[in-house]
Amino acid sequence: MNTKAFLIDALGGALELGIGTPEDVLRHVTPDVLAAHLPRPLWARLLTACLGASRVDAALVVDTIGVPNLCEHMPAPLIWACIADVAARSLGKPAPLTRADVKGSTRPSSVLAPPPEPARSPAPVAAGSTPVAIGPSIPPAPQPAANQPLADLITELEQDGGLGEPKVRPRSPTASRFRQSNTSIGRGTLGSAARRPQASASPTVGRTPRRSGTEVEDPATAVDSADWRQREIAVDDSQLVDWQADGAGAGSSGSNAVTGDDDFGDLGRKR
Amino acid sequence: MSDQRQAWFARVVESGLQNEIFNPADVLAHATPDVLANHLPPELLSKVLAASLAAGAMTPERVLETVTPELLAKHLPHEVLWACIAAAAARAGVTNVVVS
Repeated sequence: MNTKAFLIDALGGALELGIGTPEDVLRHVTPDVLAAHLPRPLWARLLTACLGASRVDAALVVDTIGVPNLCEHMPAPLIWACIADVAARSLGKPAPLTRADVKGSTRPSSVLAPPPEPARSPAPVAAGSTPVAIGPSIPPAPQPAANQPLADLITELEQDGGLGEPKVRPRSPTASRFRQSNTSIGRGTLGSAARRPQASASPTVGRTPRRSGTEVEDPATAVDSADWRQREIAVDDSQLVDWQADGAGAGSSGSNAVTGDDDFGDLGRKR
Repeated sequence: MSDQRQAWFARVVESGLQNEIFNPADVLAHATPDVLANHLPPELLSKVLAASLAAGAMTPERVLETVTPELLAKHLPHEVLWACIAAAAARAGVTNVVVS
């Protein structure tokens, strides 16, 4: 029993002889049915024909797919429903009831789903204008550029803390093992909050530190002498010493004293 | 339109026979002797009888060898042919027609 061939003959003959029309076919073989059963290559052929045609109608669909393909891929009861409609009309009878009609589903199943809404594209921004920030300023996620093959690796390392700012890692339980052995700090009940009291290290006021024997220069005196070196000192004539005359009278000892004290840097301290 | 319809029924009946959707006995189950006698012309009835007498038997196959699908579609009511076709299609499982 070759049911397909019989259906091809019956439906093809009806179309060839004008007993049936392509609209009769699409009344049962709806686009939904085609979508569910027609193979993709035939869909490609159908779409190509529809795109190239000035008018798309049932005849174009049926002619493009072909009756053999319809009978091959569509459910046989649907093809038979087409044939039964044709026969009933030619015999002057009402269309036969189908099981779908008995179930009350009189609405044809050829209603196509509405086409999806076109994708909304963002409004074009005029050249040179500054975009208005609507939301919080969130830095964009790093996108690996095509000319940066290591961008992904760098990003992963940064996230792992390998590069850049180091991340604070959670303290491991073994990190405090040395302190626990001696001071028992960090044990379960005490924890790190219980610390032994420690002496404060505030500096003492009004007490100079003891000087060691090796220190030569008094810091305060050194500051004073430095100040004196910067000043111009007022001296009376009575304070001046004619050292050349004294030197002549003093003899060799006075000369030695003068020559031994030729450094006038500490002149003020001698007075 | 009548010629096309007749040609189509003839084609469907022929295809049904060739594709074994139904057999000659199924046809004669609907195209009963009474139907044949009331619709076939006398010369055709005569030919059927002559062929059967020559073969020694009248079988459905031999009847349809004489009364071809074209002649069936030409002389028999198409409702009879359609009933034969529809019943055979129902047996073949290709129909969803609710038989009332």
